Parts: sequence; structure tokens; C-alpha cells
Amino acid sequence: MSSTRSARSRRATRALWLFPVPALALYLFFFAYPTAQAVQYALTDWDGYSTTYDNVGLRNFTELATGDDVFRNAAENNLKLTVTVVLAQTALALLLALYLVRTTRASTLLRALFFLPTVLSSVSVAFVWRFVYDPDGGLLNSGLRAVGLDSWQSVYLGNPDTAVFWLAVTQVWFHAGQMMVVYVAGLQAIPRELYEAAELDGAGRWDSFRHITWPLVAPATGIVVAYTTVQSFKAFDLVLGLGGNPPGPALDLLSTRVYTTFSNNEFGYAAAQSLVFMALIALLTWVQRRALRRAA
Amino acid sequence: MSSPRSLDRRAALRLFGAAGLGLAAAACAGPGGGSGATSSSASPAALATSGTPEGTVSFAHWRAEDKAVIADLIKAFVRKYPDAGVEQDIAPSADYQSTALRRIQGSKTGDLFTAFRGAQFQQIVRAGVYAPLTGTAAVDNYRANLIGPGAQAGVQYGLPYQLVFNMPLANTDALDKAGHTAAPTDWDGFLQLLDDLKTKGYTPLAWPGGDAANAGQLLNTMVMNNAPTDDAFTKIESGAYKVTDDWFLTTLEQYAQLVPYLQTRATGSTTDAVTQLFAQGRAGLLATGSFQMAGVRALGAKFPFDLLAPITTAAGKAKYEGVFNTTFILGVNSASKVQPAAYAFLEFLGDPANAGVYANGTGQHVTVQGVDYTNTDLKAVAPWLTKKTLLAPRFQFLNLDIRTAVENATVAVVGGKKPAQAAEEAQRVIDQKRA
Amino acid sequence: MLHKTIRPVVLLLGAAAVVLPLLVVLFGTFKTLPQLFDSPLSPPGSPTLDNYRRAVDEGGLGAAFTNSLVVTAGAVLLTLVVASLAAFFCARMPGRAGWAVFGVLVAGLAVPAQAAIVPQYVLFDRLGLTDSLLGLVLVDTTMTLPTAVFILGAFLRTIPEELYEAAELDGAGPLRAFRSIALPLTRPALATTGIFLFVMDWNDLLYPLLFVRSQEHRTLPLALLDFQGEFLTQYPLLFAGVVIASAPVVVVYVLLQRHFVSGLTAGAVRG
Repeated sequence: MSSTRSARSRRATRALWLFPVPALALYLFFFAYPTAQAVQYALTDWDGYSTTYDNVGLRNFTELATGDDVFRNAAENNLKLTVTVVLAQTALALLLALYLVRTTRASTLLRALFFLPTVLSSVSVAFVWRFVYDPDGGLLNSGLRAVGLDSWQSVYLGNPDTAVFWLAVTQVWFHAGQMMVVYVAGLQAIPRELYEAAELDGAGRWDSFRHITWPLVAPATGIVVAYTTVQSFKAFDLVLGLGGNPPGPALDLLSTRVYTTFSNNEFGYAAAQSLVFMALIALLTWVQRRALRRAA
Repeated sequence: MSSPRSLDRRAALRLFGAAGLGLAAAACAGPGGGSGATSSSASPAALATSGTPEGTVSFAHWRAEDKAVIADLIKAFVRKYPDAGVEQDIAPSADYQSTALRRIQGSKTGDLFTAFRGAQFQQIVRAGVYAPLTGTAAVDNYRANLIGPGAQAGVQYGLPYQLVFNMPLANTDALDKAGHTAAPTDWDGFLQLLDDLKTKGYTPLAWPGGDAANAGQLLNTMVMNNAPTDDAFTKIESGAYKVTDDWFLTTLEQYAQLVPYLQTRATGSTTDAVTQLFAQGRAGLLATGSFQMAGVRALGAKFPFDLLAPITTAAGKAKYEGVFNTTFILGVNSASKVQPAAYAFLEFLGDPANAGVYANGTGQHVTVQGVDYTNTDLKAVAPWLTKKTLLAPRFQFLNLDIRTAVENATVAVVGGKKPAQAAEEAQRVIDQKRA
Repeated sequence: MLHKTIRPVVLLLGAAAVVLPLLVVLFGTFKTLPQLFDSPLSPPGSPTLDNYRRAVDEGGLGAAFTNSLVVTAGAVLLTLVVASLAAFFCARMPGRAGWAVFGVLVAGLAVPAQAAIVPQYVLFDRLGLTDSLLGLVLVDTTMTLPTAVFILGAFLRTIPEELYEAAELDGAGPLRAFRSIALPLTRPALATTGIFLFVMDWNDLLYPLLFVRSQEHRTLPLALLDFQGEFLTQYPLLFAGVVIASAPVVVVYVLLQRHFVSGLTAGAVRG
């Protein structure tokens, strides 16, 4: 009996191996293989259209690491953007989730509203916000003028020191609602009794948040932080829409830098940049996981 | 939108391990194998000008706003050659700048295609996509002195169709009100003009500092007389000149002097916004170029136009009165399957009558000889066709990163940065990118 | 009780921040550019559908709409089929193999698309798949697979082992277990994933931008980009395009909201 069963289950296991074949075939052939090819391109000076090229070894990488202010500037902008978005979006998403965790008609409606921007396309959002930030006839400055706060008007994306932070504002507007939903699910999983018990012990609102909510919502925080990091690090369409193509130094990010290098027909160099870009995302994700686990 | 990742540590480790394996296991053909062109030899086949024009020609270009006019011309073309057809394939200019070569290689699109002057044109030449036009009848329709940007090493690869003046557009009503009927002949005179405009309540110079593509147009006229040679930006790229040289520092200092005369928060202004400001008659000058005349009219402007360039030197020291550019370089694809038809359409566009339809319909001057400009604005600006103008310096740049660095120095100065510091920062980038 | 007053203020500000820009866009579609710049906040004076008409006629949004539908439908269906098979394997395969395949497929979530675009372009071009709707379906399927496998994997792992054991005793092979147990139970998850993929594919710009060359194969986001004339963005036209391109997604969202939420939180609650 048991032997026939194990034979059958072996057969079943073998048949099971066919299941992931289509997915793996598509994925490896159309994605993993080209990604790996990038490694090979990165060791050349190919311009993308000539039939000849030279192997230059690691020269592209040494140039990136030691003598490319433009790339470094893009990396710095990217880091500023990601840190700002992660902090602001996580805090805002949690705040909104705390306010809307109870399922009443009003909060269901508001949750739906805050989530809405997420389903729009980046191109649409970029065009909308280009108009919002337009310093001359745009929504923000017109609004400020309308309420008599003329002195608050700003140049927004036109100030190289703060442009990245305005980009961050747009990114948060775009996706905070999405992360709020993750938090709502996390909060709803916390048993009510815990709060009731704490209240009986005379704990205040802040105490319950610190000792019950924050620790118990940690898994959701982990997801929100990891996801927001990758999402904001990969921002691309949004920057092209807001900052033009190619964007100026104030809004240049790693993704747009790779694309611009590619447009400059420096394929080999662009491939090297894209690999560094990938490595940075991996590193950032790993550092975060460690930090979050240590905190937990 | 995708879903968040929640992998435990071991899964994450395996994940990176697997990805690493995948990377190591992949072997691939050299980059050259993927040029996309069946054979991109550097010496393209001669152009097939004979043969009946038949089949559908894909015409790749970046002028979405010319679509309707070109569609009318296509109708007329098809009446002439009933077996041929033309389809427009339009990409926005920024995308066209970066992807055109890959789109047209192997002629999957763009049997007839356009190119920007400078970097893009040269790349397409190097990639062997042009079927040379030297000696064809089509070339004879053009003014020989204007089609240089479509030639290289004595071979005419393409024909620049549009003639534009990349210099400030003027609202002559406003200039009259400010008491200026003639263009200033030196820098102080120019500043005086701006000051008088300001006194009359105008924004003297509307400048789209927030739009990289157009913020740099003003640089053309700002350097045309300051630069020691006509190919100064080429020399910046080669390292012979530096942006820290006196002539460029002077230019940057002059930018700083313009600040009080620009609209407030100019470094963030989009082209749309300044065009709107100018179209409403609230600005004296619009620091972009003649290519915007049609757009400004479309916004309902009724006042007459002229062009007016700042003369940045003392009177009598100036070599040039303005700048021009010829671009929208038409070329036939060497790999095209419908070459006779593509060439026929190129020749058709160069016919003075058809070029006139294009010019008057789109508000652009053209490089074709004997065109009758009936459009009021084109007529008003026509005297510039014979003035002393320089081929726009800005388009000498072949490297986009270097161009961005130089133009951004001007924006930074307007934003309050010290000229010397802005120049130094730009030079650092140039030195790195020149390698 | 400071909290009592802060909450409504925060929520009101947040709601305004979401609604106002979108309202300006909607109103803007009924205005001319000068009207829009002069008073962006005011409701339209004389509602005219001119901008929509021009957006459809001049911008060729009709054909683009059809292309978007074809590509999106094809990619979503194909992705659901291959991803559910793969996710079933990941959930059912004993030992490390299941996790390894899952890891490989989900790794794609962290890889920026820019890393592969150059070689990807070359590959698709050599296969003759650039400038074709089939090529877009394939590339969209590939790029959304990680997401689909991730969500479906999370759902499939929640199916109790006992259900499968009962079927195995009846001598069911994996295909029958998949068909008669996994699929019926994951129907809501499939709907959720499908909607997710719909939004991703519908809004994708990068691949059409890279691959599509001719007018006839253009998708909506790409057609939207064409609204930027070379030197002058026609905001009202652009806004009309934004409304047309966003309408289907917003309608689907309003009707099927709960699926969006459950897809997003598939992995969130399990500690």
C-alpha cells in the first residue's frame, strides 16, 4: 500500500514539474536572459548601432565609481527621493489607516478616495502635476494667490535644491493610499481585546499606540517600507513627465540616467549603469530587512 | 502597481542565489549581433530614384502639430501617384531624439525620415541608414547655403527642410509702447530696452527656465557674439575651450544681469506658461524662437511679431545680428523596400508650391528656393532670411550630457549661483564626459 | 481631546489634495488653454466636448483604445494561466524546489526594467516582435509574471493540505487537483490578480515607448505622449486624453474595489 502510494506520489511529483515550465520559459527567455546580457554589454564600449565594438573590461565600472559627477548626482537625488518618500509615505499611510481603520460608511468612502490615484497611469499623474507646480498659471500658486498668501508662492521644480522633494510629494500623493490599505489590513488583524485591556489599566492613547499598535503592525510596516523603497527607487515615467526628457540635474535619477546614457548611444556604459542601479536596489532592500528584523 | 514582497530571509538569500546563477549561466552573442539592421554597412547602397513609386511609405517625424498639413500634402501626392501611399509615424520630439535611430534601422519604419541637426544626424550617417542624395534632382530645389547640416564629407545625406530662427520673438506693439522702434545695437542698449518695457508694466523677457529643451534657446544669441569662434561649443566638447574661459564667464555674468527683467520664478517656468504670458500681450520678448509663432497665434495673440536678439557686445563689435537653424532633415532609408516611392515623396515635398503649402500651413520658413510666403508672420520675419545670422551654436553639441551641463550653468546663474562657481561645476562634468 | 479635532482636519486636507487636482483636470477638459491658465480652479463656463472630440480625432485615441484593450486582455489572460500553474507548483512542491522557483520568479519584482531594456529591445527586434501587439502581449506578460506569481502563491499556500490529501487518495494527479481543488478555491484570487494586471498593463508606457513604431500599434499612454506637441503642450487636450485613458481603470476600480485591497494585502497580514 505505502509503496504504491509513494510510487504514485513520485509520478505526481514528476508531473508537477511541468507546471512552472511555461512561466519559467517566458521569464528566463524574455527577461532573465536579456538582463544577464546586460552584464556582457557592460564590458564593452558598444554604441548600439555599429557592428564593431571593443571589450573594455571593467573600465565602464571604474569610470562610474571614480569620475562621473552626473551619475553620482543622480544617485544622490535617488537616495534623497527614496528616503523622503519612505519616511513621508509610511508615516502618512499609517496615520490615514489609523483614522480610517473602523469600517463606517464615511471611512470606506475616504479609503476608496485615497487609493484612487494609484490606479492612474504615471504619464497622467505627471501631466496633472506639471500643471499643479507650474509657477506661473499653475494650480498651487493660483490657489495661494486666491487665498491671499502671495508670499508663499514658490518655483517648485525650478529650484534645484528642492526639486527632488517636490517630486517626492507627487510620488506620495500617487501611492500613499495604496500603502494605507496595507496598513488598514494590518491594523484590522490586531485583536480589540488588547486595547480594551490596556484601557482598563489606564493606558492613554499614545501608550496603546506605542505598546500595542506599533509592535503588532510591524509586519505591515516591513512590507510598506520595502515596497515603497523599490517603487520610489524605480520612479521613471513620472520624472520624464515632470522633468522633461532628459531631465535636468535637479531631477535626474538613476533610471533616467540609464535611459539618457542609452539615448546618448553609449550602450555599454548604460548597461554598466543599470547593473550598478540593480545592485543598489538589492543592497538597500537587504539593509532594510536587517534593520527591520533587528527592530522587531 | 505590483504587490509587496514578503519573503523570509532564507527565501531572499535563495532568491539572490538563483538570480546570480541565472546571470552566470547566460551566455550570449556579442552586442554587434543585435544591431537590428540586416546589414548596416557604413557605405549604403545607392538610392533607387528610378522605378515606379508604389507601396506605402512610412514617414517618421516628430512634428505632431504639422500632422494635418502633411496629411493634405499626402492626399495631393497620392493623386499624382495613385499606386503609392504615405503613413505618418510621429513621435514626440524628446523621444524622437533618443529612439529614432533604433526605430528606423532596418527600415521597419521610416522609409522617409527626419533627423535633428547635429548629434542625431551624425549618428544616423555613421550607422549607414541614409541613402545618399548627392546628384539627385531633389537637391536642386533647396538653397545650397542652407543645407550644409544635411551633408558630411561632401556627401548630401539628407535635406534640412525647416528654417527656424532660434532667437527671441518680439511683440512689436509692446516695443513701440516702450519707445523702441529699432533693435538695440549693444548690450547696454538691450538692457535699456528691457528696462523701458518693465517701466511700461510688461514682463520684459519671458524665458522658460524650467523646460530644459527650450531654456537653452537663449544661449544661441547670448554667445553668438561673445564666443571667439563660430564653433565654440564644438571646441568646448573637444577640450580646446573651457566654460571657465573669460568669454563664457562674461556670458554667464550677462545672464545674471537679465534676472530683474525675467518673469518671477523664471527657473521653474514651463514653455506653456511663458508662451501664454507672451500671447496675452503681457511680455515684450519671448526667449524661444520663430518656431513658436504659430503656437502663439493659436493662443489668440493679435499683435505683430518680429525677432530681436540681444547684442551682447559693444556697438560695432558684433559679428552677427541673429541665429538660424536648419533642421527636420529629410532622408531616405537605405534599407527601404519602397525607395522609389519614398524618394518621390521627398521630391514632392521639395517642390516650391508644396513647400509653400507646408510653410504657410505650419508657420515655418523652409529651406526650399522660390517659396511664396503668404502667412503674415512668415512675411514679417522674412527680412531675417537675408540678415547676418549664424548657424545656431547650441546644436553643435554632440553629447547631451555636456549640453545639459552648459545650459544648466545658465539656469543656475539665473537661480542665484555665482557665475564662476556655476562655470566650474559645469567644467568638471565636461571634463569627465569628454573622455 | 485634541485628537478629536485633528482627525477631521487631516482627512479633509487629504481628501482635498486628492480631489482638487483631479477636478481641475476634469474641468480643464472643457476649457481653452487661456481659460485654464487664467482660472484653473473655476468650473467651466461653457461646457463643450471640443477637446474630447479633438483628442479622439486628432490624437487617434480610438485606435489606441482598441490596441490597449487587445494587449491588456491578451496579456492578462496569458499571465493568469502561466502564473497560476507556476504558483500551484510553488505551493505544492515539497522541499526546496517550490521555494526556489518562487524565488526566481519573484526576484523580478526588484529588478528595474531599465536593467534589461537594451538587450530586450535587441532580442524582440531579432524575433520580429517589435512593433507588434503580440510582442507587447509577451513582454507585458513577462514583466507582470512576478506580481502574479507572488499574489497567487500567497493565496494558494492558504489551501489546507487535507483537501489535497483527500483527492490524492482518490488517485487524482496534480492536473486534476489543480483543476478541481485549487482553481475553484482561488477564483477570488484570480479575479484580484487579473484586476491588478489589468491596471499594470493598461498603464504601461515603457515598452510601447521602446517597441512600438507605427501609428497603428500605439497604445493609450503612448498616444497620450503624442499630445505634447513639439513646442507647446495643449493642456486641455492632454487632460481630455488623461480622462479618456483613465476612465476604464477608474470604472473598474469603483466597481471592483475590494479586489484591489485583497490583492495588495495578500501577504500583509501573515506575520
